[in-house]
Amino acid sequence: MKQLVIIIASILFSILFYNRGIGLNLSLFTVITILLLYIHNSHKFKNKTILLHVLAYVLSAVFVFVNHTALAIITNCAAFFTLVGTVSQSANSIYVQWFNGIYSSVAGLFHRNFEVNETAHKIDWKKNIDVMHWAKLIGIPLVFVTVFILLYKNGNPIFNDFVSQINFSFINLQWVLFTILGYYLFSNISKPVQVDPATSIDLKTNNRLLKGQHFSEEKLKKEKQLGITLLGFLNLLLVFYIVTDIISLSTIETTKASALSNHVHSGINTLIASILIAIGVILYFFRGNLNFYAENRTLKSIAFAWIFLNVLLIGLIAIKNQIYITSFGLTYKRIGVHIYILLTLIGLITTFLKVLKVKNLAYLFRRNTQIAFVVLLVCSTINWDATITKYNLTKAKTFDVGYLINLTNRNAIILNELKDTIEISQRQKDSIETKYLNHITSLSQKDWQEWNYETFANSEKLKKTNH
Amino acid sequence: MNVIENLAKSSLMALVIFWVIIRCKSFEVEALPYVMLSFIPIFICVAIVIVGSICPFFWAATNNKFTHKEVFTMCFPYYSCIAFGLCCYGIITSNFDLHFTAFCTSAFSTTNQSWVWFAKTDKKMHNNKLNNTTKTTNNLKEAITKTQSM
Repeated sequence: MKQLVIIIASILFSILFYNRGIGLNLSLFTVITILLLYIHNSHKFKNKTILLHVLAYVLSAVFVFVNHTALAIITNCAAFFTLVGTVSQSANSIYVQWFNGIYSSVAGLFHRNFEVNETAHKIDWKKNIDVMHWAKLIGIPLVFVTVFILLYKNGNPIFNDFVSQINFSFINLQWVLFTILGYYLFSNISKPVQVDPATSIDLKTNNRLLKGQHFSEEKLKKEKQLGITLLGFLNLLLVFYIVTDIISLSTIETTKASALSNHVHSGINTLIASILIAIGVILYFFRGNLNFYAENRTLKSIAFAWIFLNVLLIGLIAIKNQIYITSFGLTYKRIGVHIYILLTLIGLITTFLKVLKVKNLAYLFRRNTQIAFVVLLVCSTINWDATITKYNLTKAKTFDVGYLINLTNRNAIILNELKDTIEISQRQKDSIETKYLNHITSLSQKDWQEWNYETFANSEKLKKTNH
Repeated sequence: MNVIENLAKSSLMALVIFWVIIRCKSFEVEALPYVMLSFIPIFICVAIVIVGSICPFFWAATNNKFTHKEVFTMCFPYYSCIAFGLCCYGIITSNFDLHFTAFCTSAFSTTNQSWVWFAKTDKKMHNNKLNNTTKTTNNLKEAITKTQSM
């Protein structure tokens, strides 16, 4: 029964993906994958973590259909590996789940050769059917018949004509191979496997920091003094930097793109170095027994103050980036800076929580990777090309039309709608129209497997194009 | 660990996968001699890859007294993931060229199966040892029973 499900799924896989682009098929593949995982691992689907990952996977599939962006497709793949990894072991950290998910999808079938239950099953199966005998029975005559056909072909013209008339072109071998690929993928994920010892080590590691055996008060006192001196000076330096940055921000000229760009980029570089060193220094001092030292309050307060000052620094960079965006419009790089700022802020908050609640490094990695996954999922909810185009043409003080034209076709419709509301050259208007027509034509030529929300939303326009 | 047997089986497997993918659009019977001849270069490629990238794991493990199954469980996940990544990268950068896709697909499948074969030889040896021990124990038991009955 379960084999039959895999065979049906692999045939559907070929129907959906063979010689087709991405669209509705990826969303349907999501449904098939969830059903297959449920049929093979129904007892695991009562777990809340698994249900949460199913929801994330379904949402990513919806975003693939609605937005049809590369980011949404990447998120869907990430959600697929996460779900497969979660089914293999739900209590693991998300990065171990990713690894388990990738490994299960890539080589699960090979790994399962060594699982106890499977081996027992295989021995019975092999006892019932003599595989070697059947292989010889089919393989040896096949090779000899082929060789003799080749020999006889040259000896007799009638036999040659007869052999030449044999035609297997009605079988699409490529389609069959693609179905086998689907079978391989679905067999791999039907019973997800675990990478050991990575999985077991991760399961044994909890988030709590434990007190070390060698607790020397003398050593800790010296370390605390070093920490207070170092972090104290760094705090002073950062306060001075922030004050000067605020002064330079008030004198910034928003009309000069180069000056603004310089400000943002130099600020980002400072931010990267500062935050990484800040987190590194804090993690060094709070790596062990200093967390359990009774007189560590001053050091903790200074560390928290430094984290707070870094948050202020992040705020200043965000303001600079926003000024840049308001003046010269959105671009992928500027959005990337905002996302980087958000991730850095989250990194600082988790570092703060690690020190406050006496957690270990595993906690930091677990929380940060989980949050990064959620951020990826959230980012895939937006059609960035259309958002950039709409913002630049309606809200930004100045914009670069060439940049908007060079974006993917996901902004073609909105760009065409807004082209008459802005002042641009005729040549640029023609380029926009060409882009729009190409996009509509490609939409109208898509098969049902490649459809997306845009195909339905513009069905009237597509009908006109087809006529 | 029978390297020659493994190489022969792996080369045959690589040959079949490679030519099935290459000739899936149209197959001419005249090409069969070339298919047979291609076993030689395929064997060389397979030998280089298996001896160079899989055998060292098992050789090193034999020195450190790990079982083949332990080596498989420990190293195979990383090997297969890296091999998959490299093959995907190669296929994408070659712009899905049929020949290169066939090469990468056969290389990936063959190396993975080769790991399984190597790991299973240990199991076979273990089973043989177990059978021999059981046989010896049974013989001893029979001898004891005979002596007692006499």
